[in-house]
Amino acid sequence: MSKQSKMNRRQFLASVGAAISAPYIIPSGVLAAPGRPGANDRVAVALIGSGGRGTGLMNGMMRSKIGDQADCAAVCDVDEKRLARAATYQAKWSKKTVTPYRDYRYVLQRKDIDAVVIATPDHWHAVQTVHAAECGKHIYVEKPACCTIEEGQAMAAAGRKNKVAIQVGSQGRSQPEAYLLHRYLVNGNIGHISKVWCFHYNSPADNNPVPDSDPPPELDWDMWLGPLRWRPYNRKYLPGTFRWVLESGGGQIRDRGAHVMSCAMWWMGADGTGPVTIEATGTSPTKGLWDAAVTMHVTYTFKNPDWVLIWDQHTGNAPPAEERKKGEARIVRPGYGAVYHGTKGTFTHWGGDGGTWAERKVREWAPPAGAKDVYKSPGHMEDWFKGIKTGAKTVMNIDAAVGVANLCVLGNLSFILGRKLRWDQAKKEIVGDAEARRLMSRPQRHPYHL
Amino acid sequence: MSEKRVKKAAVAISAVAALAAESEAAGVDAVADLIAKVRDKDDKVRAKALLSAGKIGAPAVKPLAAVMSDEDFEVARAARRGLWKIVRYVGRPGAAREKRPVVPELLGLLGENQPAAVRREVVWMLSEIGGGRCVGPVAALLSNKELREDARMVLQRLPGKRSLAALKRALKAVPQEFKINIAQSLRARGVEVPGLPCQKLVPTRKTSLKPAG
Repeated sequence: MSKQSKMNRRQFLASVGAAISAPYIIPSGVLAAPGRPGANDRVAVALIGSGGRGTGLMNGMMRSKIGDQADCAAVCDVDEKRLARAATYQAKWSKKTVTPYRDYRYVLQRKDIDAVVIATPDHWHAVQTVHAAECGKHIYVEKPACCTIEEGQAMAAAGRKNKVAIQVGSQGRSQPEAYLLHRYLVNGNIGHISKVWCFHYNSPADNNPVPDSDPPPELDWDMWLGPLRWRPYNRKYLPGTFRWVLESGGGQIRDRGAHVMSCAMWWMGADGTGPVTIEATGTSPTKGLWDAAVTMHVTYTFKNPDWVLIWDQHTGNAPPAEERKKGEARIVRPGYGAVYHGTKGTFTHWGGDGGTWAERKVREWAPPAGAKDVYKSPGHMEDWFKGIKTGAKTVMNIDAAVGVANLCVLGNLSFILGRKLRWDQAKKEIVGDAEARRLMSRPQRHPYHL
Repeated sequence: MSEKRVKKAAVAISAVAALAAESEAAGVDAVADLIAKVRDKDDKVRAKALLSAGKIGAPAVKPLAAVMSDEDFEVARAARRGLWKIVRYVGRPGAAREKRPVVPELLGLLGENQPAAVRREVVWMLSEIGGGRCVGPVAALLSNKELREDARMVLQRLPGKRSLAALKRALKAVPQEFKINIAQSLRARGVEVPGLPCQKLVPTRKTSLKPAG
């Protein structure tokens, strides 16, 4: 297909039902720095992991205010059928030729690619982020950031050392109502907060287990496993269902905990801090491949200031009644959110990811003169591009994201081990439990390592 | 020792022996009960049984390992999870006495008489609770092409000088094509390995698909 005959961006957006938005303004003084595109430069992006989530992220990017500043230059996937579809799909809107790759390291070798969007299963996030940072690419990586404590530290170190903009996909921080909630909270409307109760429905169980088998011919199973220790293929690992396997996903506490606890850490001003103890209980599936907790209760205790963060996954406590907004779409997942308990009252939000809904009193609160304001993200992708072009810290930067992912990691470790853990945030390590300490890292298969 | 004291000691010894016999019988019963339930066709019965596996400990290790090869893959999976329950339970702080007999039971499952799937799982269990005495048996797996990558990763995780020394020895002993894997572990343990450059950023997997657009 010639460039002239290609669908333009406007036509493509119309074809996927998206609205065209106003141009995103970058200060004119911003010039390109080494490894950093200038204000008016287009950013060449590669998508690594072109399944539903990856495609959704690219759609979101081109629909957003920075859509006119980006091109897709490459797609990468270990499933050849999906890869072929992704290349064709992305080429419809990109001004660049879209090259398909099975191995993401070919993408990293290309000097003309500025940034990567990583939407692979969780067990790949850290390795691909570290490698991309080492190759000077700016990175948008899906949440949760890491699967182990060691991985998180390596990601943060690679980001710092290579001075690349990293945005982690806990996009709740960039939602309009998240801004309202944050502002409401920091202005003391519910007083000192001593407890944040995150509620969520259960992780699914694999009720139709199947035996291990040969992988389908289009799938490079070895590459899908990547850093994980080898095991036979089972079709219940993918697509998407890796989420319910502890090693490759980790259940709802990671999939959604990385959203709702991300909001909590940000609004509580707790980024950079961590709990002193973590205690989890829960129930495991009774059959099937998936082993993530079906129900789960985790208590994180923070000190100085003292507060408690609770992850409550379908343990019998009813979630708050759903609030519907007049004339607006109903809350997509009302069984998921958090209640903040303060000395002067409570507030509730539902969701915490791309859908974040605030309680009515928060939405209707008018800040008085002199009220504190908080950072208002221009949008998660836009905030990332701002980081790419100006060097500004992203709203879900890698340090904050690793802090949130560590909560998920530690919650699952406490569940797996069946005991309370103690955590030293300054040293970023578990204390007083030799076996648990070994699980802060996980040796990785050659050559898919940090 | 007076006759009275001898009598008292004899009574105490026989009481201890009786208790031990009783406890052994109870242990045997508990293992048999556990295995029967792990083999049950009802997944809820299996899952409930696993909750007690940790406390049964060492006596259940080999019987559970045997069930890991059951032709019903769900039963085999339950047995594997039961074994992990034991490992995690005896690995808790202050449980050295319970862990001590479990480790040799696991080591006994690394032999060639066991299926590769069992040996692979067991070597990872040892990575969590094993100590210096595990290094030799794990390092021996480096000569097995099917299991050597798992053994290499487990040696990387096992703390202490013995595992590090085993990796250094392995660098000289393993076939050329596997040296780069050993080098990866040595680097992870803070050892410089000249002459074997890191391969992590070298792409190898090609696609036949053509560019689009």
